[in-house]
Amino acid sequence: MNEPIVIENLTKYYNKFLALNELNLRVPAGENIGLLGPNGAGKSTTLKILCGLLRPSSGRALIDGIDITADAERALTRIGAIIETPEFYSYLTPEDNLSYFGKLRGMKGDGLRQRIEEVIALVKLESWARVKIEKFSRGMKQRLGLAQALLHDPPILILDEPSLGLDPRGVVEFREIIKDAGKEKTVFFASHQLVEVTQICSQVAIINNGQLLVYDSIKELKKKYKSLEKAYLQLTGGSIE
Amino acid sequence: MSELDKLGIVISYEFLKHIRRKRLYVVLGIALVVEALVLILIPVLLDHYPSSVMAMAAMLSAGPSLAAIGAVFFAGDAIAGEYEGKTGFLLFTNPIKRTTLWSGKYIAAFIAVTLMIIFSYIISVVSLLVIYGEVPIEMLESFGICLLFAAAVLSMTFFFSAISRGSMGATVMTLVFVWVLSGILESVLSFTGNEYWYILSAGGDAIALVYGGIDMFMSGFGGGAHLQAMLENYKPLSVGMACWGMSIYLVAGLALSMVISRRRQLA
Repeated sequence: MNEPIVIENLTKYYNKFLALNELNLRVPAGENIGLLGPNGAGKSTTLKILCGLLRPSSGRALIDGIDITADAERALTRIGAIIETPEFYSYLTPEDNLSYFGKLRGMKGDGLRQRIEEVIALVKLESWARVKIEKFSRGMKQRLGLAQALLHDPPILILDEPSLGLDPRGVVEFREIIKDAGKEKTVFFASHQLVEVTQICSQVAIINNGQLLVYDSIKELKKKYKSLEKAYLQLTGGSIE
Repeated sequence: MSELDKLGIVISYEFLKHIRRKRLYVVLGIALVVEALVLILIPVLLDHYPSSVMAMAAMLSAGPSLAAIGAVFFAGDAIAGEYEGKTGFLLFTNPIKRTTLWSGKYIAAFIAVTLMIIFSYIISVVSLLVIYGEVPIEMLESFGICLLFAAAVLSMTFFFSAISRGSMGATVMTLVFVWVLSGILESVLSFTGNEYWYILSAGGDAIALVYGGIDMFMSGFGGGAHLQAMLENYKPLSVGMACWGMSIYLVAGLALSMVISRRRQLA
């Protein structure tokens, strides 16, 4: 599939509030695309629709050619996602939670156990693997969120502010993990951190008021606006939040 | 992977959650205290246990009835909790139908409540064997009705959980519905000589009524004649009809909760 994520005329109303206004976007396979925009621009709404958490008012979102609204179960097998700060079942351990989600995705036995160990080690939570999540900080939950997104080795990663709540070391580690994953996977992620986006992504889509303002390579944007920051400020007509 | 396989996974992990949470043990403890109070207070206040084993069995059914109401505490957050606690952001991004999820949650909660009910009945059986040396066969019928009552309460809790923003709201709404609204309606209808089998709380009464009517109950305690005037218009409950009533709540509550929660979005 050349374009694993296709967004066509996506419109979303929350009662009378228009959150997405006929948004169109195509994410090519193997690319790392950053979704930028001020608060309330429609970034999270877009990602939530792609993950089947929200239904669009009109338009459609395709994951590997599968309409997420029409066949969510099949489309969701292709993605790993972090939406907002992930909240796990607090009375279960990371191992329990990952085992639950892994099994729901058809993983089992030694393969699942081994993969759980791998992703827990990847996000550096080895010593917390059997501790109930009620004792976890926000940053630790975020780490575990990335572990569950990578657990089933999905071809597409959809990440909403993945480094939110992490300490500086965590931010750097996360960036490396996502960059590494992005070598083989399609990564579509929303962020307010322009530095992070520059280091991970090849292209960015900037949206505001639910509409696409620009979708281009960072290189081209830098050429045209001198820096990604200037491009962002000029296009969104406000300050970076 | 079939939806049936996924259902099994949801049941096992949801049940694990119930086992790891304190509320199961709290409800179990309350049911145990109720049984203990019945066993201690009756001989203290009357100097003896009732002459009829049926009357004592009916009194001891308070524990299992309470355990059945405990369903509210297991299911209150079943649906609403995924939205309120935002765990849905992880759970719903997995490839599983929402109906499979809710069905798994329902079955897991029912298994947990069933275990509590079985525990309460074991206490009742042991107590009756120690005091009377016998156990009425009607206890099996009472057990079956108690399970049906728990299933109906669970369904209504799922319904309130589907329409509530939060778990606490769902729990409170269900308790008000089962204990307060149903209780008042049942009292008014029964003492004015009207049918009330379709009131959910009547199902709770049916758990004890299999041992006999109110006459048996009062005579078992050596009294009751003075109640005749008071009960002039009282219409006794038909256990069979109460079972129909509970079945309606069971099916309607669960079906409505499925339909509503399938439409619900996680913004």
